Amino acid sequence: MEMQFKMDDQERKRIILALRWTAIIVTSYLILFGRGRVTNLHLSHILIAIYIFSNILLYFFPKTWFSNSKFFYPLVLFDTGIVSFGMYLSEKMTTDFYIVFFLIIIFASISRNFKLLMAIGGITALLYGVLLYSWGLLTTEHGSSYTLRIPFIFIMTAFYGYIVQTLTREKREELTISEDKYRGLFENANDGIILLRNPQLQIADVNREVEKVTGYPKKELIRKEIFDLFAPEEIEKARSYFKEVVEKGEGRADCLSLKKEDGVSLEVDLSTKRIDLGDESFYQMIFRDLTEQRKLEKKIRESKRSLEAIFDGIQDHLSLQAPDYKILRVNRTVAENYKTSFQELIGLKCYEVYFQRTLLCEKCPVSLTLETKKPASSIMKLSEGNTTLKIFSYPVLDEKGELTSVIEYMKDITEEQRLQEQLIQSEKLAGIGILASGVTHEINNPLSGIIGMAEIALEEDDPSKNKDYLKDILTCAQRISEIVKGLKSYSRAAKKEDQSPVDLNEVFEESLKMVHLATKTISVEVIKQFQPIERIKANMGEIQQVFTNLITNAFQAMDGNGGKLVLSTRSLKDSVEVKVTDSGMGIPQKYLNQIFDPFFTTKKLGEGTGLGLNIVYRIVTKYEGTIDVKSKEQIGTTFTIKFPTRRVEV
Amino acid sequence: MSKKVLIVDDEEVIRKFLKIHLTKLGYEVTEAADGEQAIEQLGKDDFNLIICDILMPKKNGWEVIKEVKSNPKMKNIPFIVLTAKNEDSDMFKGYDLGANYYMTKPFTKAQLLYGLRLMLHEAPEEIRV
Repeated sequence: MEMQFKMDDQERKRIILALRWTAIIVTSYLILFGRGRVTNLHLSHILIAIYIFSNILLYFFPKTWFSNSKFFYPLVLFDTGIVSFGMYLSEKMTTDFYIVFFLIIIFASISRNFKLLMAIGGITALLYGVLLYSWGLLTTEHGSSYTLRIPFIFIMTAFYGYIVQTLTREKREELTISEDKYRGLFENANDGIILLRNPQLQIADVNREVEKVTGYPKKELIRKEIFDLFAPEEIEKARSYFKEVVEKGEGRADCLSLKKEDGVSLEVDLSTKRIDLGDESFYQMIFRDLTEQRKLEKKIRESKRSLEAIFDGIQDHLSLQAPDYKILRVNRTVAENYKTSFQELIGLKCYEVYFQRTLLCEKCPVSLTLETKKPASSIMKLSEGNTTLKIFSYPVLDEKGELTSVIEYMKDITEEQRLQEQLIQSEKLAGIGILASGVTHEINNPLSGIIGMAEIALEEDDPSKNKDYLKDILTCAQRISEIVKGLKSYSRAAKKEDQSPVDLNEVFEESLKMVHLATKTISVEVIKQFQPIERIKANMGEIQQVFTNLITNAFQAMDGNGGKLVLSTRSLKDSVEVKVTDSGMGIPQKYLNQIFDPFFTTKKLGEGTGLGLNIVYRIVTKYEGTIDVKSKEQIGTTFTIKFPTRRVEV
Repeated sequence: MSKKVLIVDDEEVIRKFLKIHLTKLGYEVTEAADGEQAIEQLGKDDFNLIICDILMPKKNGWEVIKEVKSNPKMKNIPFIVLTAKNEDSDMFKGYDLGANYYMTKPFTKAQLLYGLRLMLHEAPEEIRV
């Protein structure tokens, strides 16, 4: 495109220069050999020199200048002046020639058709020639100068005509281009555009979108009054709107209804502005079809409503919090629970409302979520009542991944915890059942001793011997008493209030004794590696439950085939570690991640509840400890438990 | 010649009163505190009766029965299991392994004498119950 323009500029410059050379030659000839002769030869020479020099100078001018009217018009003026002056000098204004020259200029300047101009130029030259001939001027001594006038007329017509024609063509092209541009914008706009005549408000033009949206063809719309386009019930509204537009020159309106060709009404937003085009003025009315937008809005409203229903339907406490802990929203459950309205809670800080505190809670999961942008949870006990809450917090992120708010979800787990306690208790009873047979055995032995010895004593007449028998009886009875004592400590209910500093070594030892009663198996070598360790605050019964479960499992894993049981304790930086290692059959890899699940068991029905390790896990985690298992089939299993020594009080 | 009885039990007091009873009845009594000692004694001497506990260290009663009953020289020796394991499944296990009589602890002298009469086909005056 640019190349094309350059070619045009080049062409134009060449033509103009050529035309000028021709004009210079003819003008010079007229001056030098003209009929009237030149009165001032110097002046005429200077004039010719200037003319020639100007054309030489033009060679150095950039070609784009020749398309620029700011340069071009003065050039034409300059040329006209030179030629006129030249003619004056040659003719001394005595003939009509200069009139012919001005006629040529007038012709050329009003011409918009170059071919027609050339035809007129040709006819004029011919006519002038015929006139000269009929007057007999061509045969006079100045005949040659008269003859020269004929091509002169033609050349000057061509020169001026070309200039005027190219200039006007360019203007027209520019206009066409800009009009096309605006027509394109107008036609392809996504909004409907209607041009209205002022003041009749009659439709002058519409774009394609109007046709598409209303369903009327353009030719039907043109000359309609704008009010014909509105739905009947909206006409009054439309009239008042246009009244305002006429007064102010512009105006907007939301939600007017247009009537479509098929009678269906169409909701639109309107914006109208007056535009003045010369003498005429129009109103440009732009409207946007709101149908899609309304549908979208409806969808958004629906999804908002369903989200709200979910939010309110949740029976646990749910609230949305700003990063400064201020409540942005709460669900119905919160409002009902605090016997207040939504509005009253909004803007308050969560800890003020839920925990009656003035400062942030110590174990606040929200603060963790604010820090990490990840979900968090913690368990908190309410200051009043016996309520335990589990609090979850979830981040709400914007498109950029920045945290905007946090959802806090509070679940009352008091009942759940109570059931868990019950489960632990019942599992303990089940454990007692398992122990019972072993204990029976252990009691039956000394009991047999008592019965046997008593019978012998009864038959014995020698009192000195009886003393010996009675001693045996006493020993046996004491043994039974010991066993019963052990059982009692085992079955003692694990109540929360019962927490006291517990010496893990002691409980370990006692648990071992208990299990030993039940599983008095041959050749299990028990190795105890107890280090002095810090006491931890816990319920002794629960700790014992953990140990007896693990030791029982260890014995069962060795299944009477003998082996080695290593029990060890040691002190770490912030925790104490307890290890139970057996050399039993091991746990198959595939079960390793299931062993802590409730009711998971590989034992036959009736032999195990599948709760043992689950209870162990619960108790350990209750004291914020960790439990870890390593096992290799046919080699053995190690359970490692760590209890923190400085536990935060819950 | 008096009959020889081997008493196997890890509980000293039980061995003690069993020995008093059996000695009074005229039996010659040998004691063993665990399964290993029992097998050792059985290798040294011929016995007319074995009274054996089940839950013992080193070698338990089940293993002792197995060894005795699989040894042609000993398999005809009457074998009484005397144990605190009082579940039916244990008793069946004992008989399956070849025990001749299964007695559970605690027991009385009368129950012991009944077992002796059954195993040794003897009827001392006192045994009549």
